[in-house]
Amino acid sequence: MMVKVTLRNLAAHKLRLALTALAVILGVAFVAGTLVFTDTTGRRFDDLFARTGQGVAVKVRAKKVIEGADAPAVPASLAGTVARVPGVAQAYGTVNGFAAVVGRNGEAVGGSGPPQLGIGWNPADRDHPVTAGRGPARADEVVIDARTAGKAGLRVGDRARVLVQGPAQDVTVVGVVDAGNLMGATVAAFDEATAQRLLLRPGQFSDITVRAQAGVGETTLRDRIQRALPSPAYEAITGTKMRNENESEVTRILSFFRTFLLVFAVISIFVGGFIIFNTFSMLVAQRSRELALLRAVGASRKQVTRAVLGEAVGVGVVGSTLGLAAGVGLALLLQQLFRASGAEFGGGLTFTYRPVLWSYAVGVVVTVTAAYFPARRAARIPPVAAMRDDVAMPPRSLRIRLIAGSVVTAAGAVLSGLGLGGAPIALLGAGAALVFVGVAMLAPVIGRPVVRVLGAAYPRLFGTPGRLATKNALRNPRRTAATASALMIGLALVSAINVMSSSAKASVAGQVDEVFAADYMVTPVSGVSDPAEAAGAVRAVPGVELVTAAYQGRFKVGTHAQSFLATERPADLVRATRLSLRSGSADLGRDGLLLDQPTATSAKVGVGSVVTARFADGGTERLRVAGVYAKNQLLGPRVLALPAYRAHAAHPAGLGLMINTARAGAATKGAIERALSGHPSLKVQDRSDVKQDAQHSIDQFVTLLTVLLTLSMIIAVLGIINTLALSVIERTREIGLLRAVGTSRRQTRRMIRLESVVIAVFGGLLGTAIGVVFGIAVQHAVADRGLDVLSVPVPTLVAYVVLSAVIGVLAAVWPAWRASRLDVLKAISFE
Amino acid sequence: MTSSARTMNGGPPAPAALTTAARADRISKAYGRGDAQVVALDEVSVALERGVFTAIMGPSGSGKSTLMHCMAGLDSVDSGQVYVGDIEVTRLDDKRLTRLRRDRIGFVFQAFNLVPTLTALENITLPLDIAGRKADQAWLDTVIDTIGLRQRLEHRPSELSGGQRQRVACARALASRPEIVFADEPTGNLDSRSGAEVLAFLRNSVREMGQTVVTVTHDAVAAAYADLVLFLADGRLVDQIPDPTAEKVLERMKGFELPGITA
Repeated sequence: MMVKVTLRNLAAHKLRLALTALAVILGVAFVAGTLVFTDTTGRRFDDLFARTGQGVAVKVRAKKVIEGADAPAVPASLAGTVARVPGVAQAYGTVNGFAAVVGRNGEAVGGSGPPQLGIGWNPADRDHPVTAGRGPARADEVVIDARTAGKAGLRVGDRARVLVQGPAQDVTVVGVVDAGNLMGATVAAFDEATAQRLLLRPGQFSDITVRAQAGVGETTLRDRIQRALPSPAYEAITGTKMRNENESEVTRILSFFRTFLLVFAVISIFVGGFIIFNTFSMLVAQRSRELALLRAVGASRKQVTRAVLGEAVGVGVVGSTLGLAAGVGLALLLQQLFRASGAEFGGGLTFTYRPVLWSYAVGVVVTVTAAYFPARRAARIPPVAAMRDDVAMPPRSLRIRLIAGSVVTAAGAVLSGLGLGGAPIALLGAGAALVFVGVAMLAPVIGRPVVRVLGAAYPRLFGTPGRLATKNALRNPRRTAATASALMIGLALVSAINVMSSSAKASVAGQVDEVFAADYMVTPVSGVSDPAEAAGAVRAVPGVELVTAAYQGRFKVGTHAQSFLATERPADLVRATRLSLRSGSADLGRDGLLLDQPTATSAKVGVGSVVTARFADGGTERLRVAGVYAKNQLLGPRVLALPAYRAHAAHPAGLGLMINTARAGAATKGAIERALSGHPSLKVQDRSDVKQDAQHSIDQFVTLLTVLLTLSMIIAVLGIINTLALSVIERTREIGLLRAVGTSRRQTRRMIRLESVVIAVFGGLLGTAIGVVFGIAVQHAVADRGLDVLSVPVPTLVAYVVLSAVIGVLAAVWPAWRASRLDVLKAISFE
Repeated sequence: MTSSARTMNGGPPAPAALTTAARADRISKAYGRGDAQVVALDEVSVALERGVFTAIMGPSGSGKSTLMHCMAGLDSVDSGQVYVGDIEVTRLDDKRLTRLRRDRIGFVFQAFNLVPTLTALENITLPLDIAGRKADQAWLDTVIDTIGLRQRLEHRPSELSGGQRQRVACARALASRPEIVFADEPTGNLDSRSGAEVLAFLRNSVREMGQTVVTVTHDAVAAAYADLVLFLADGRLVDQIPDPTAEKVLERMKGFELPGITA
């Protein structure tokens, strides 16, 4: 019987529940879309890796020395050693490195994500069948993959420039290979000796590829090879393991991307939870008479609770189903977006059970959880309420709310503090969520005075509709608070992000002014390149006084991998980066090392100490601490003598050039740019360019985050619409009366709109307030990691409050229209 | 005081008399379609005179509420014209109707007359506030003193008794000195003592303040407070009793309970 009641109610309140379902749909769509998209992308990469390295039984390579850096190369002679192992059909060295093909338009193809691969040509390589031309035979010949050739506009026989970590190479394209869909990666193959010279060192391979004789299993072969290896620094792995490793790298990136998107999906769902809670509270309140009647005729409390929760399950299931469908659409849209930005995705989506499972789990669990408290309240309606005329729920004291809300808020603040203080970052998220719940609980208490102040000017400005609007907003503080809280969450996050980004921009500007003493900086747009050649070109430009080439790398001291900056003339840094030596000298010689003050202090070393560092190639170096400098944001904690780095890296990773001139100006900049015209991946920036560049990327990130948070705000708007629409239904008779005694349709609409604006602005104010507090807290927590200036973007925050007023106006359009169209006669005889 | 309503079923339209507060001219109204059609008003003509307290009576379904709703501009008619003062209500759009209700008509409903968020005084001045007009303080004082609730003006409706609420509703109806006040079963939800207070107040507003009041009721005692009782049956005006007493009204009403007599 109660099932019938539940079903009838779902049918009877279709419209009221539709908006609630929409909140579920949007949240679930976000989750499902993210999962479907990442599943699909993962599948594409799986296909790619299953295809490449097909038939490789074993790989022999040097063990990785430093996490995050390339593994050391192996000597070419190792290929011969491996080839003699019984069961090996073929063993050949492979060469991998960085090489970018410059297209006819003068720009490098690819980059910004997918790798730009340079490889050694091997006729035995079955992954890359030649479709046009032939393999490279001379130093100035290259073979490229078909997709890259298409993008670069190059054909067999064309001259082209290839960027490597060293001088750029002018070559002839002698062949094109079909590498299939590389998901945006590019391939350029040189003959083996040239590849070794350009990408590694002569006489070295990145690793050895082994093919097995028929009937020899890969693990058997691996074990045999392992025993034959001359040094424990080398290892043999099966082809399967190699492919898995390749995949796991992509899987890691994908899962990061997925987590990133899911965070925002969770925020949307969290906001949706508020809406669901509010809708069910209102539905229960409106139906209290009917529920009391059920109780009066013998339904138990449990049955009433179950009937309401049954409705929640219904909304959850319908919302999840539609959300799943919308999620598929979202995944297609994401795919289009990525395709538009240059990524190569084949058509079609991959479906696994996962999005389906999660969509229903999330949709139903969230709906039922949010409806649980209203359902329990429904059961507490006394049967006698059926007989009463005024069906209002008994007003409850806000004191319990005040206490509980304060406790929850405080707990959230403590958790957030721990999260900021170095504990797992998830604690910060949990803490923030708790703060939101806590403040939402407190909101009815805070709301009264705030709404009163906000609405104070209403009667004067808008007359009676204004006065009624304020009173209506104050009428049910819990409802107003829950509605405003939904909007609060999105605005709090956006405000916090704005405070942080504004602080970051101010900090960057301050740091650039403080330490960037060069007139120009030259940096690669993508990939890495050896700045030595570019440095030579710039030195010849008249007016250029000082050119400092900088490199970056990692070494390992003890068990810790540490990053360093390397340069050939450290003394120049004094002028280019305002290096301020506290002790020692900047004369590094062959093996000198500079440390900044905090690093030297924490490592308990000083001028004259010797540090033993292990480099990525496996070699060690005894480094002499030559000097200690004041903390410098541009240099970072360590500066190493370039010869020491070069000894362990044939192609040190270039960071860029710093240029000091006699007279900085457009003419000088133009001259430098002309001198670098052969280096299309390098860009010349002056100080304000550097600032703008950094600020631009911060802005882009903020835009991305804001877009992702927009969905949560849309859900909040749905919440306001829902609350207003339900309020209009609840106040049908009152609105009818107002209309009967002469309130015009316009005045009725204005009354609803003004109420909406009060609620939205209340949410906006709460949100910006919390956001500013969060933003300031984060800035303080990471002040010593570069975010040293606090900047609160007041105009932006004011704009967000104004935006919330606009949101209020928009959210009221439909409910206000409905209210103004109520049939007066029907309205006054409602119920 | 002369009390008469000229019934004009089938007769020629009468010129708008200065003494007429509102009149209906051969108005018809039907609900539903086909077999389910119910004729609520069948070419009813009636003129309600100024300074008269008129009661409209009739059995359930006689069309008495519809007549009032149509005359008050709350409901539309299928044919015929309605005038309030010299304004033809049946030609007004929603905007003008709203203004008419606000400025020239007062309402008292059976229940739910007051906006719960407003105080008694705010409810009384609501139509004036909506119009953005200043209340005539002397008049307002007279009205408030007559309902006898000066001490409770700052109270919310939930803090007033049913009778007090209806008296506040009457005061609200009179506050803007309307052309005419329509009261729809104003005592339907009240006990007899509170009902008597409300009816006495309405009668005083006619006798002492010169207002025009029309009430729909099915209660003979309530009707007896009026100067004139009009009887409606099957959508037609069938009778009237000037200077009614409860006994006379009751006697007449009994007739409706036996089918055949109404014709």
